[in-house]
Amino acid sequence: MGLIQKSSSNQELRHYRGNIPVGNLYTAGIAGDRFFVDLRDKGRLLGTRCPSCERTFVPARHFCEECFTRLEEYVPVPSSGTVHSLTAAHVDLDGKPLDPPHVLAFITFEGCAGGLVHRLGGAPGQSFRIGDRVEMVLKDRKKRTGGINDIEHFRPAKGSRR
Amino acid sequence: MGMRRVAVIGAGMTRFVRRAKETPKELSFEATRMALDSCEMTRDDIDCVVHGTAPDAFDGVHMKAEYLCDGSGGVGKPYTRNYVGGGTGVFAPIQGWYHIASGMFDTCLVVCEEKMSSCQPHPQGAFLTIFDHTTERALGPNLLWIFALEMNRYMQTHGITLEEIAAVSVQNKGNALDHPCAQLGKKTTVKEVLESEVLAWPVHREMVSPTSDGAVALVLASEEVARRATPKPVWIDGVGWTLDTAYWCTRDLYYPRYVETAARMAYDMAGITEPDRQIDIAEPYDPFAYKMLHHMEGLMLCGKGQAPKLVADGVTARHGRLPCCPSGGLLGVGNPIAAAGLMKIAELFWQLRGEAGKRQVPGTPRKGVAQAWGDLMQVGTVVVMGA
Ligand SMILES: [Zn+2]
Repeated sequence: MGLIQKSSSNQELRHYRGNIPVGNLYTAGIAGDRFFVDLRDKGRLLGTRCPSCERTFVPARHFCEECFTRLEEYVPVPSSGTVHSLTAAHVDLDGKPLDPPHVLAFITFEGCAGGLVHRLGGAPGQSFRIGDRVEMVLKDRKKRTGGINDIEHFRPAKGSRR
Repeated sequence: MGMRRVAVIGAGMTRFVRRAKETPKELSFEATRMALDSCEMTRDDIDCVVHGTAPDAFDGVHMKAEYLCDGSGGVGKPYTRNYVGGGTGVFAPIQGWYHIASGMFDTCLVVCEEKMSSCQPHPQGAFLTIFDHTTERALGPNLLWIFALEMNRYMQTHGITLEEIAAVSVQNKGNALDHPCAQLGKKTTVKEVLESEVLAWPVHREMVSPTSDGAVALVLASEEVARRATPKPVWIDGVGWTLDTAYWCTRDLYYPRYVETAARMAYDMAGITEPDRQIDIAEPYDPFAYKMLHHMEGLMLCGKGQAPKLVADGVTARHGRLPCCPSGGLLGVGNPIAAAGLMKIAELFWQLRGEAGKRQVPGTPRKGVAQAWGDLMQVGTVVVMGA
């Protein structure tokens, strides 16, 4: 089989199977560890404040990538925020329909730099728009493991306009 | 050649450990912050950033240089990653060197990071696919096996004994006792090394460097900036790199000719004609004990087959005539792949400035050479540095 011969299926060529046999074990890091332990145990979002540019990053991070300062001031930030952008996935990776659609948003928090990507949820059929105020819904304390899924989703904030 | 002189003016490194709590980004940040602090610079003083890091599979982050950019000070700067396998740690400063030597930039941060503990069950898994997928992989080779073939061929060719090779582990692990960042410094004996488990004959466990997490960073500067920044710049006098064929069965394994080719390039640039006389201190790459010897020969610090005698005679000891791996090397300090190579450059920087503390070699060393190696035993990267 040469380059000038067309083959629509590479399975017709003699083939040899293989893979790269590795898995991974990650750490959340110095700041990430504090962020997730605080989320699990106290049910709040932790940020870190940069004394140089005076920004507060959420989730907490160990350094400011602009000022290149080590961040050591950890502060809780409000757990309600604003939908900065969102999307609704209608099919999964294999092309299977997702019903209801999977709604994912980038949520920012007032006075903070950064933000969280997370699911949006609420009553069935609830629709969301950019600019909506949303609040964090946590899993029960006993079900929290110290990961991003300790947050069930964000839902419309109480008393918000919609 | 119309190129500008380039100096190293600052260095920093994290401890090398088996498993760090820090994320890869955080490791990079700590090393980079320390390097900047060491020459009283801020990120604003940096024109460009070079990041060296080995396979993405180690940290488990695809395109990890982009991920690491925040921690290595690269945000909003001309930023590139380089990767030449195990040779990366000594190639990264070469890439930084040509950024400045060319006249394009005046300062460059060079950062190398590896977090191998993310890779499970063992980083060797990532290496299994460097072998030819049809002629070799079906036989199940791993890196240890091919290094065993190389070590055995080297021993056979020159009549070198296991005891002579074990002496390298003893020396380097002993040297690492004085390195505050070392993972495996210890006082050991040839007997202990030879009593350790045989992994693939003739490679014993105590002849192999560990897997490690860690980061190292340097600040490079043009001559003009360097002279303003420090009274003790350490110059990059020569650089060389080369890649041999991946048909590794066409080479005689007893001699690393790719190291010699890279060394000749670096020595020519540095005006070194008799390396065995003109080099005061060396950091040959030592992921395996025999490799320090093999690479001393490739670097032409002695004749072929002569390196074991230099170790036996104490010539390569920290207080010897030609200290080799005074840092403690990969065998003692640890082997977070790319960071381990850059650690060798940092060691020359500290030694040539007289700032190596308990590791300081006696006298006033003027010229040093560092080297790294990797891939299918095919890449050589060499840097010559001068006080
Ligand atoms: Zn800042």
